[in-house]
Amino acid sequence: MRRRHVWAILALAALGAGAMTLGHDMRWRTASPALDPEAVLGTGTANGYARADRLHTFRFPRDFGPHRAFKTEWWYFTGNLDSTHRRRFGYELTLFRFSLRPHAVQSPSRWSTNQVYVAHFAVTDPADKRFHFFQQGARAAIGLAGAQAAPFRVWVYNWGVRASAGTGWPWHLHADAKGVSVNLDLTPLMAPVLQGNNGLSRKGPAPGNASYYYSIPRMDTRGTLSVNGRTFSVTGLSWMDREWSTSALAPSEAGWDWFGLQLSDGSDLMFYRLRRKNGTTDPFSQGSLVNRQGKVTRLTATDVRVQVLGSWHSPRGGTYPARWRLFIKPEHLTLEVTPILADQELNVGVRYWEGAVDVQGYRAGHPIGGEGYVELTGYAPTSLAQSSRR
Amino acid sequence: MAGMVWRANFRFMSRHPWQIVLAVLGVALGVAVVVAVGLANTSAIRAFRLSSQTVTGSATDRIVGGPEGVAERLYTRLRVDAGIERSAPIVDGYVEAGGDTLQVLGIDPFAASGSGGQLSGVNAGAIRTLLIQPGALLLAHATAHRLGLKVGDRFTVRYAGRSHTAILAGLLPKEDGAAEDGLAITDISTAQVITRRIGRLSWIDLTLPHGVAGQHMRARISALLPAGTHLMPTRARTGALVQMTRAFRTNLTAMSLLALIVGMFLIYNTMTFTVLQRRQLIGMLRAMGVTRREVFATVLSEALLLGTIGTMAGLALGIGLGETLVQLVTRTINDLYFVVAVRRLLITPAPLAEGVALGLSATLLASLVPALEACGAAPGAAMRHSTIEQRAHALAPRLALAGSALTIAALLLLVLPTRSLILGFTVLFMVIVGLALVAPLAVAWMSSAARMLLGYAPGPAGGVVSRYALRGITASLSRTGVAIAALMLAVATTVGVGVMVGSFRATVQQWLAATLRADIYVSVPQLDPGGTPPTIDPKIIARITHIAGISGVTRGRRVSVESSRGLTQILAVDFAAGHLPRFRLKHGNAHVAWAEFNADRAVLVSEPYAYRHRLHVGGQVRLRTARGYESLPVAGVFYDYGSEQGIVLMHRRLYERDFGDHGISSLGLYLAPGVSMSKIISAVRAAAAHSQALFVRSNRAIRSASIKVFDRTFAITNVLRMLAVVIAVVGILSALMALQLERSHELAVLRATGFTPTQVWGLVTVQTGFMGLCAGLLALPVGLVLALLLIQVINRRAFGWSMQTLVMPGVLIQALILAVVAALAAGIYPGLRMARVSPADALREE
Repeated sequence: MRRRHVWAILALAALGAGAMTLGHDMRWRTASPALDPEAVLGTGTANGYARADRLHTFRFPRDFGPHRAFKTEWWYFTGNLDSTHRRRFGYELTLFRFSLRPHAVQSPSRWSTNQVYVAHFAVTDPADKRFHFFQQGARAAIGLAGAQAAPFRVWVYNWGVRASAGTGWPWHLHADAKGVSVNLDLTPLMAPVLQGNNGLSRKGPAPGNASYYYSIPRMDTRGTLSVNGRTFSVTGLSWMDREWSTSALAPSEAGWDWFGLQLSDGSDLMFYRLRRKNGTTDPFSQGSLVNRQGKVTRLTATDVRVQVLGSWHSPRGGTYPARWRLFIKPEHLTLEVTPILADQELNVGVRYWEGAVDVQGYRAGHPIGGEGYVELTGYAPTSLAQSSRR
Repeated sequence: MAGMVWRANFRFMSRHPWQIVLAVLGVALGVAVVVAVGLANTSAIRAFRLSSQTVTGSATDRIVGGPEGVAERLYTRLRVDAGIERSAPIVDGYVEAGGDTLQVLGIDPFAASGSGGQLSGVNAGAIRTLLIQPGALLLAHATAHRLGLKVGDRFTVRYAGRSHTAILAGLLPKEDGAAEDGLAITDISTAQVITRRIGRLSWIDLTLPHGVAGQHMRARISALLPAGTHLMPTRARTGALVQMTRAFRTNLTAMSLLALIVGMFLIYNTMTFTVLQRRQLIGMLRAMGVTRREVFATVLSEALLLGTIGTMAGLALGIGLGETLVQLVTRTINDLYFVVAVRRLLITPAPLAEGVALGLSATLLASLVPALEACGAAPGAAMRHSTIEQRAHALAPRLALAGSALTIAALLLLVLPTRSLILGFTVLFMVIVGLALVAPLAVAWMSSAARMLLGYAPGPAGGVVSRYALRGITASLSRTGVAIAALMLAVATTVGVGVMVGSFRATVQQWLAATLRADIYVSVPQLDPGGTPPTIDPKIIARITHIAGISGVTRGRRVSVESSRGLTQILAVDFAAGHLPRFRLKHGNAHVAWAEFNADRAVLVSEPYAYRHRLHVGGQVRLRTARGYESLPVAGVFYDYGSEQGIVLMHRRLYERDFGDHGISSLGLYLAPGVSMSKIISAVRAAAAHSQALFVRSNRAIRSASIKVFDRTFAITNVLRMLAVVIAVVGILSALMALQLERSHELAVLRATGFTPTQVWGLVTVQTGFMGLCAGLLALPVGLVLALLLIQVINRRAFGWSMQTLVMPGVLIQALILAVVAALAAGIYPGLRMARVSPADALREE
């Protein structure tokens, strides 16, 4: 249930993507539109969509594919990579699916569809102190974008992930824009981890106010990465998050901090802290710890304490937390999480921070390391109405 | 000293306000016509460029295909397989809504190039509606306002005779309304449904970087394109379309210059008058030490002052007139070339500056002779009127000689092996001016001839009044000659243009009768004259061909394709069995040509096409087919007046083979003998009912519809022609008033010696009537020369059309009547004034 309201804002960014990136080219660029996310997706009504209101039996490869009856869905790939010469990189490729209305549009044109996809692609290059990010949106029509379970494929134009012929593994991930590109082969090192209650991730007290959520926290990753015309052979670990839902955002929430950390002892930690507008932690915050053997331990809001150690002021406005200490009490785990680059903010119509991090800490007194990704939302004045005023 | 000169002159001017007003009016009208035509032309072209730019956005290149456009999967290949960013698919077409023509522009709101930009500033909810609501579209505020639509309203749009329900989902940002006015932005899915292009795109926009990187991308993309599609720079097409209208616009400009030339006579007339009237004053000033140069400068400055006032008034008048002309220009462009909506006159500096420059230089040029005249006056000596008139008489043969020389020189220019339209018009103007210079001498001759004739006439016609009146014309030849020349020019213009249009019309009528041989024609409503027309539903065609009583069906497809010579219109025809094509050949052996045509070995080209592209029988046309460029031999050149750009005629079999397009956009139906035309028309309408509203017209109806378009095309020509006459009438009025004022003393003497007011009035009437008659008679041969030049030189050079010359007596008689009536009308006021004047007062004035 991470990133649960990003979708609404992103949908508009997607639609704005055309309009706004284009704006630069247009002779008569007008003031950036005060697009209302709810307006784009139709006043947040959940009528006619399926709801995450019961337990779901996950089956693969079926659940790799899309669940079009739900309003929104995403495929999140993040990873930390090292080149053969130990140059460090982080990457993110996210593909969102949005339903513009519950039922298909009746038209003889193959362009008409109620399904829209948006992708974000980012590469963190700490050696060069550069963070590259890009966005593309497309309708799920005439093969421009879409998702399918078998053979698995999810794509927006030429960005996306697809299964290999035969066994299906590895998955091949590709994205490129303006000389920045990734070409990676992803092989899961573990079975999918069902988050929440067997994959049903509640986010509020009302029934159906939930999502289906699973992860593959550890995927062996190898391939090439290019920045500024240089291509590097890279290896590392990727994390895949899959989530689909229909429910809307709770008005009391301001944003969230999401952590996905691959630790050196072979265990993987996921935790999201939902922040209320009054600054407190929402009790529906939760997470999981998966050990090397694949055993999953659920973590509740009270199991994890997040201490913020530093902050970063975005040049585009807003102050983010920048370093954390996580206390996972039941596991006697203390982790210090540090971004590998301060500015990993994506400014794609809506602004959020999604960046590669280093992990150092102790489990029961023994040192432990790791890498991972952190996502921070609700820290920047993200509304487009606000950004247009600048 | 200069102050005194000015004061003296000012006092003089203020005593003759009407002369001044008329001179100013002459300049004003001339400048107004030039400015109006300039503004109308500029507005139409600017509006077209602007709307093209709005559609194009930042796109630098376009991927275009044949008549059917581009397959939509090509876009997927580019975006998904090849990763070409900054590309945008477009489906466009013209629809009719509430009597307005709208350009439907189907876009993908996600595509990051070109037309997608229209959406910046559009409310997100409206964009969402575009995507999920079939029929949803966005309009500019102005368009919605004109159609009386509010956001959320449903309305009907028609494309190719089919109606669709549209919903106004939102409005385009207000800032730059003019460019988007007339655009209907929709999602590509809606545009595909409306224009029946499921699976197809009109084109794909690309925004490529400049320089080497862009060239690299072009090469890469070109390599990806299937046969039948290619990459072309965006501006190329707009430029080509604008170029098409060039000849039309040049013709209008030339017509407007004619009005200015007529206006120049007015200035000349007025300035001569003022100089003559002040001959004593000028003589006195010279005696007081005013130099020749000062006199010259004074006269020129006065003229310039009048010219400036007239030019300024002309600018204002021209803007007002432009509002009317721009509608006429736009209508013609819409009839013949492409769709452009000009909602309002665009006032740009260039036509205004041209108007100012032309107005002032025409004034200076026209007043040069009077100014020289003025400084020729000897100091002290009161230059007598008779001196000037003697000089004028002596000058008349010399002017005539110069005029003849100019005319001959002009005609010699025609021998030059060039197709320059500008040179053609130069010749035309040289001939006009040359013949106008002959006018004074001709007037003198005509006047003495008339006097001789009157001498033999019995009764009052041969009376003293008439003879006296005629002698008066010769006596003041300096004035009357010019007035008659001006009127002659204006009337000659109406004769020339009238004969040309009449000949053209007759030629077109004959051609229509010869080529339109089917009894009933079925076609699809098409709003975009330059584009590829929509097709008729094959099911309807099948139903129509099975109607009993139809003995033969000719199937036609007209499309616009790329060729090595730019956009080329193709007419692909499958003639009904037993009904041979009736195209008359200009070049080529008909038997051989049609045999080659029917064997799919060759094409025929129309006369304008052959002229434009310097093609002859045996030459080749290179067309971009579905398989790439193909060369087709030309077997014949046929007469055709349907397309100014020219067309290539080929058999439909050949067309289908080369272009893979099976569409049919028109049918010609032949009836079996004895079958009722109206019954078949009803049956054809019934066959198409409820699915496609087609034009079903009888042979006669389509002929009259064609002639109607023809007449509409020349509406603006007629307006300009009439304006020239109006200016000429003002000229005559001014000349007569000057004449009568100068002769007030003389007339007073006549009154004192017993002339009644009626006799004086009769004197003036005979004079003006005779002047009109002179102008009219002279205008006939001059007009015919103009007509010949227009038909043989201008029309050929502009459009490549050959036409027969047909002189309708009606045009000539009308011209004669016009000249006499115009002159008489101009004489009414001076005549009355003259008759009313009390002899004592007039005598005292001297």
